[in-house]
Amino acid sequence: MAYKHFEAIEKHAALLGVLTAVMVSIGGLAEITPLFMEAHAVKAPAHVKPYDPLRLAGRDIYVREGCYLCHSQMIRALRAETERYGHYSVAEESVYDRPFQWGSKRTGPDLARVGGKYSDQWHEVHMMNPRQVVPQSNMPGYPWLASAKLDASDIQARMRGLRKLGDPYSDADIAGAPAAVEGKTEMDALVAYLQGLGIKNEPTTADGKPANDGGEP
Amino acid sequence: MSLFWSLWIMFLVVLNLGITLFLFIWAPRAKIPVQADGTSGHVWAHGVLREGVHKLPMWWVLLSAAMFVVGFAYLALYPGFGAFKGMLGWTSHQQLAEATAANDAKLGELMKRFSLYPIEQLAGDPAAQQLGERLFMDNCAACHGRAAKGNVLVGAPDLTDNDWLYGGDGKAIYTSIHDGRSGVMPPWASLGEDNVNHLVQYVLSLSGSPHDEQAAEAGKPLFATCAACHGPDGKGNQALGAPNLTDHIWLHGGTVADIHKTIHDGQQGHMPAWSPRLTDDQIRVLAAYVYHVSHNGNASD
Repeated sequence: MAYKHFEAIEKHAALLGVLTAVMVSIGGLAEITPLFMEAHAVKAPAHVKPYDPLRLAGRDIYVREGCYLCHSQMIRALRAETERYGHYSVAEESVYDRPFQWGSKRTGPDLARVGGKYSDQWHEVHMMNPRQVVPQSNMPGYPWLASAKLDASDIQARMRGLRKLGDPYSDADIAGAPAAVEGKTEMDALVAYLQGLGIKNEPTTADGKPANDGGEP
Repeated sequence: MSLFWSLWIMFLVVLNLGITLFLFIWAPRAKIPVQADGTSGHVWAHGVLREGVHKLPMWWVLLSAAMFVVGFAYLALYPGFGAFKGMLGWTSHQQLAEATAANDAKLGELMKRFSLYPIEQLAGDPAAQQLGERLFMDNCAACHGRAAKGNVLVGAPDLTDNDWLYGGDGKAIYTSIHDGRSGVMPPWASLGEDNVNHLVQYVLSLSGSPHDEQAAEAGKPLFATCAACHGPDGKGNQALGAPNLTDHIWLHGGTVADIHKTIHDGQQGHMPAWSPRLTDDQIRVLAAYVYHVSHNGNASD
């Protein structure tokens, strides 16, 4: 290599751009690709089940309304977080989340383990107008959810789609889905989803120890 | 992590560090042909801008060298170089466990002292009040409010009035928090609209609230059904969590419309159990705080 090579790079903006991209992408290739390629190796523990139809519909409403823009579902392994929200999140808990709801944007509190923390009624009142229960809240109200009936016609298609991706729904699960969401409102579905968060996925074994340290992809 | 991906990461790290280190060492030594005017001969903007040839500034060289040192040290000490765990053996879980243990040790002394007192006495301890307030704001305020005044919309009782659904001694408060409470008032729409209206007036009369005498008189015999839980005199039953109807304190609202709704549609109050989320020590401190607030009429907010 000699100075003329550097002269060539310096004088040709396109070449400079390409080589810069190559150098920058090395970081991504080293950090992202292995996790990405090994993600399928994360298996659900026995107690983590795919969403039942009502909670699945609720999850889709959660995504549709953009709840993730203010609420994360990822408790970090820091004492300030585990004291407030509970056991830190591990990858196994999110295997049936497509897309996962991790994140670091916390305008509101983390919801990874909010299930059971409040009553159903609290969630309903809160969703109609959050300031009715938390006067300082700056969360918007979602009153239309209470009057919007769930569309039961496509829940089976959603479950079949997820089954193609590997979620273990049985034929009976899918056949019973429309009945499970029949007559329910979007509010019912969202509350059912929230009330299931974390509770059913808590990564503990019988002796109370974490089932997995979550450190190995 | 599989061997392949471990090697993949190691290869890329070595490649990246190799290229940058090579450039760092080689580039300052590269022979740059210098023109007569002291520039490299590169021009921009039709010769207005010309590129001078100077040595790299020392601060830049030192900063770059420092970054290499930090980079190598990080890869040696912390996990990052493929499957290599780093010489320190650091993990985020270990760090969390240590932080938690340190905090537990710090609080342990305090909690040991707290455990010597019954909850009623603990309520007078300023340190317990302070800890309890923190826990209350974080866990209870969403329903009971920061000032602990309750919220009729979710059937969360006022905790400052020393009026209790399930009992107000330390043990009862502790149990309410630890196990949660579920209050169920069944719907009585089946009695018919007239009877429900009469009952509303009778219930209002129990607390001496303004009411229609005649309708209340008509409702009185119907109250026999309600007496099973609320007692013949309407004073409630703490064993069932049936509210006292004579004291002007309304869990779900005290207007005619509120009471009508409560009788007609029923009510379900749900206080979650906190034992899965809080430790026994924390629940005791919280119970002491609630006891303190109920006997002093005001939360600190």
